[in-house]
Amino acid sequence: MLTRLSRLRPSLSRLLYNAPARFVSQSKSTGAAGSPTVTEVHPAAAHAGHGEVSQYVKNPDFHGFSSDPVVDEWNMRVAFFFGISMALVIGGTFVHYLPDHSMRQWARREAERLIVEREKEGLPLIGENYYDPNKIVLATAGEE
Amino acid sequence: MLKILIPTVMLVVTTWNVRAKWLWPATLTHSLLISMLSLTWFAHTSETGWKSLNSYMATDLISTPLLVLSCWLLPIMILASQNHLSQEPANRQRTYISLLISLQIFLILAFSSTEIVLFFLMFEATLIPTLMIITRWGSQAERLNAGTYFLFYTLAGSLPLLVSILYIQTCAGTTSLLILHYAPALPMTSFADKLLWAGCLLAFLVKMPLYGIHLWLPKAHVEAPIAGSMVLAAVLLKLGGYGMMRIMVILEPLTKELCYPFIILALWGVIMTGSICLRQTDLKSLIAYSSVGHMGLVAAAILIQTPWSFTGALILMIAHGLTSSALFCLANTNYERTHSRTMLLARGLQAIFPLMASWWFLASLANLALPPLPNLMGELMIVTSLFNWSWFTLLLTGAGTLITAGYSLYMFLMTQRGPLPVHILGLEPSHSREHLLLTLHLLPLLLLIMKPELIWGWAI
Repeated sequence: MLTRLSRLRPSLSRLLYNAPARFVSQSKSTGAAGSPTVTEVHPAAAHAGHGEVSQYVKNPDFHGFSSDPVVDEWNMRVAFFFGISMALVIGGTFVHYLPDHSMRQWARREAERLIVEREKEGLPLIGENYYDPNKIVLATAGEE
Repeated sequence: MLKILIPTVMLVVTTWNVRAKWLWPATLTHSLLISMLSLTWFAHTSETGWKSLNSYMATDLISTPLLVLSCWLLPIMILASQNHLSQEPANRQRTYISLLISLQIFLILAFSSTEIVLFFLMFEATLIPTLMIITRWGSQAERLNAGTYFLFYTLAGSLPLLVSILYIQTCAGTTSLLILHYAPALPMTSFADKLLWAGCLLAFLVKMPLYGIHLWLPKAHVEAPIAGSMVLAAVLLKLGGYGMMRIMVILEPLTKELCYPFIILALWGVIMTGSICLRQTDLKSLIAYSSVGHMGLVAAAILIQTPWSFTGALILMIAHGLTSSALFCLANTNYERTHSRTMLLARGLQAIFPLMASWWFLASLANLALPPLPNLMGELMIVTSLFNWSWFTLLLTGAGTLITAGYSLYMFLMTQRGPLPVHILGLEPSHSREHLLLTLHLLPLLLLIMKPELIWGWAI
């Protein structure tokens, strides 16, 4: 009877020892003695066949457009060319060389020209009356 | 006008007829060529008046920047959607692109319309493709609720608008913007005219959105796929602003008294939404609430109707369109890698995505209105003109600017700085596509510093 129990004891003790788990690093040590190894919580996706595989694994020159490398390359070229070289650069040049928007530069030049002219003639820079007083017709008192 | 509209309609033909392998490059090229052509709208020969005139469509200095923005947005939407749609069958990809193109057509017609009725039709028509994009291609179950909120908030506001437009047609004899801006003022004395005022503006205030009726926006922006968020933030909100700018001319002189509650709501909304942003855990929700805040400033500016405020509103609309869309694209780069919008999950990204961190930095700086970006110019003009209208608003706008800077910095620091969490070491490197996408957002914003007169409108 006791011998039977003693046969069970190693297995029992193994069971009892397994319950409180000790946290031991599961990763392989890199060989550099004493270097802290980061616990690999997620193994590299390349090993897992059913996880999210990065596009960079198959196509190291992945640009983000398509999984087909040829289409990816052409899409990148087309996007950058038409987006930046055409739309921003050529479009920007076109917008830069548009004629005087809302005549601001003309207004500045005209103002400077008028100031020079009026200072030369001794006139005030701006007349008091906005409207020509001769053109204002006032009703005289006593008339209906 | 037709040189843009007909190629855009033909883009649908392109979408359905190219071979599936070359779908994305072909549509991208075609849409970039259209946006290049749209730059010709900037060639204004005079400071007032309409251009590209045919009976139904014309551009003037307010609608041109918004039109160019919508044309620019189509290629970047196509660029942004390419990755998350790559797993879908080709015909579904074509349908998605066709929805984006139809949205584009409606937007071009809306911004260039000379009749208020056409504008209203297109305003409503944009709801349908957007609803389809949100409810079919959104990623979470809440997208159905989001679509419902989006649709019914806007529809509830637009029914009074329809009635008001029909009344204007009866009363003034025309709904053409070309005429109404110079028509004698409508008699506006009875209580019914106050309802007319509210009816005209309510739809646009819901769309902007005004703070009290903004609930649809965080839902719709968050649940939409990236192209949906981009078009909503960049252009659809501005439909509301543009509509308000057009219709305010007819509504004098009631606006002087009736605008008070809406201006207060808008400015209070700037502070409230800014404070909400400081407590957000969801990245897209933060950007959505920031849109509400910025648009609150625009709404207040349009309601006070001074030349500087209209200019500031227009500049801020364009600048915010580009900035907000860029922020949503950045949030999407996070989302495509971690499939979560929680900011805490993806922190310290500067260590692994340094170039993306510079885009994050630039977009956050634009959001907090750093000089010399046009965001600041617009905000400054709005704050100044509001101060001129009433000194008290400075307290609200000043606090709002402070909180905006706070949450923009918070967003940047949360996502980019700090310790990199151990659980996300397996993130895929950033793609050239994503960098191009952000360049195409931020470079026009930087170029606009050089030539702000493009987005000034006719008020300066």
